[in-house]
Amino acid sequence: MQGKLHIALAQISCYQGNKEKNLETIKENVVRAKREGAQLVIFPELSLTGYVVRDQIYELAERIPGPSTRIVEKLAKENELHIIFGMPETSEKAQATLYNSAVLVGPNGLIGKYRKMYLPTHSIFEEKRYFRPGYQVAVYDTKLGKIGLVICYDIYFPEVTRLTRLKGAQLIVCISASPGIRRAFFETLTAARAIENTAFLAYVNRAGIEDGLQFWGGSRIIGPSGRIIAEAKYDEEDFVVAEMDYADAKQVEAFVPTLRDLRPELFDKLKESAEDL
Amino acid sequence: MSEAETRIVRFIKDYVEKTGTNGVVLGLSGGIDSCTVAALSAEALGGNKVLALMLPERETANPRDTDHARFVARRFGLKAQEINITDTLTTVYRSIQDFDPADKVSKGNVKARMRMIYVYYYANRLGNLVCGSSDKSETMMGYFTKWGDVAADISPIMDLYKTQVRKLATHLGIPAEIVSKPSTPALWAGQLAEDELGMRYEQLDLILYGLEHFMNPREIAAQLNINTKTATKVKHRWLAAEHKRRMPLTAKLEYRTVGSDFRLPRTIS
Repeated sequence: MQGKLHIALAQISCYQGNKEKNLETIKENVVRAKREGAQLVIFPELSLTGYVVRDQIYELAERIPGPSTRIVEKLAKENELHIIFGMPETSEKAQATLYNSAVLVGPNGLIGKYRKMYLPTHSIFEEKRYFRPGYQVAVYDTKLGKIGLVICYDIYFPEVTRLTRLKGAQLIVCISASPGIRRAFFETLTAARAIENTAFLAYVNRAGIEDGLQFWGGSRIIGPSGRIIAEAKYDEEDFVVAEMDYADAKQVEAFVPTLRDLRPELFDKLKESAEDL
Repeated sequence: MSEAETRIVRFIKDYVEKTGTNGVVLGLSGGIDSCTVAALSAEALGGNKVLALMLPERETANPRDTDHARFVARRFGLKAQEINITDTLTTVYRSIQDFDPADKVSKGNVKARMRMIYVYYYANRLGNLVCGSSDKSETMMGYFTKWGDVAADISPIMDLYKTQVRKLATHLGIPAEIVSKPSTPALWAGQLAEDELGMRYEQLDLILYGLEHFMNPREIAAQLNINTKTATKVKHRWLAAEHKRRMPLTAKLEYRTVGSDFRLPRTIS
């Protein structure tokens, strides 16, 4: 797709373990996004349930499609826009095998999902305790352009966004639940992922506090040159609608042609070396 | 330090709101930790939602500390109450058949736990949370009374070393006189934290910082130009006190067990 796109960054805080209340928050923000002229509204990682839900995750996770995605599909249809949000997903083939997923819905219903590949399990994070990692990148061809989905810690691993970009993503959306102690990493990495792929990148982080963990907000849209097009407040809930223009990618790509200069033969070496760390 | 202040203030406010409580109760000794927590609580909730209990007892009472506590309560607009717990303590000592006044630690722990009883009584009566004053240095070292001074619903400065608390206290406008006086748990007369810990907080905190960052005693000693034995001693004390920082240990018998693999969020909306 060429042309302009209006994106709403819905930097919300969540009610821990309360899907009903979180769906209300999602609804309020979708209605606001529509009112303010956005075509796509993005919510953070696990925005359906909150991030720190620990063992409650088994009660809260749902299949996709499922009851909550159907509610969000209805919202997308009624408001004629696209929505991306995060939720714990139950496998179609098992009962307690879960994924940390991002869901993309449009006015015509569910478009697709992405299962987080890199699950942080260190420091205060315990995602591998609960989730199985995903194995596929996700790029969806929509009326708003080719949209790729990644989640939070995936951003530390350039191969995820690289693969997403090579599959054609023009806009990479990273939903996140990142605490304040990690802010400097994310501010650098989000810009780096946009620059190295000459792609637009929308990063939407959580606000609020869960079990002492304070999310730093700072959601942003970054252009392919690394320029921050729009930015939400640090630490607090915020809602930002901004315009980006896909046409801007061409001149950046000509100026720093990272895709033209890719060296595929290095990837085999990368694989060999990574196996023997 | 203003980022730490902002984060702690937001943390206190958020948790009080989420738990639907009316404010906090804290023990205000006049020492740097409790004065800092009192100031942060007042900033988060307003002084009228912070009840500061001053709980002196004869053996450790120090007019200077009482003056400091009163000053901080006034300065930050706290509600304050002073209750002398000497008679209560005396009654407890007398009621214990085997009570040995020469055993300073066991007797001193009764004082810390008695203060906890008063603080929790008011918290229950008022529908408030208990706000603790433990810092990271003493928590890592196990330098506190189990179920005593450490007992609380929230401990806002538990992730700050003593030397960091001093900087934060100064930033909050707590007078230098309070910041610079020697710390004491007030379990017996003349007790000083740095004497018992065996070194100044300036050195202890650097050793603890190294342990926090997965450094071994040899690496820490080399960095700080100190004896490896000193760093090793701190490490052993830190590890030996883990039982004081956890739920009581139980035998694993069933599917999910309290304190180990029963993992639930603190608050459910």
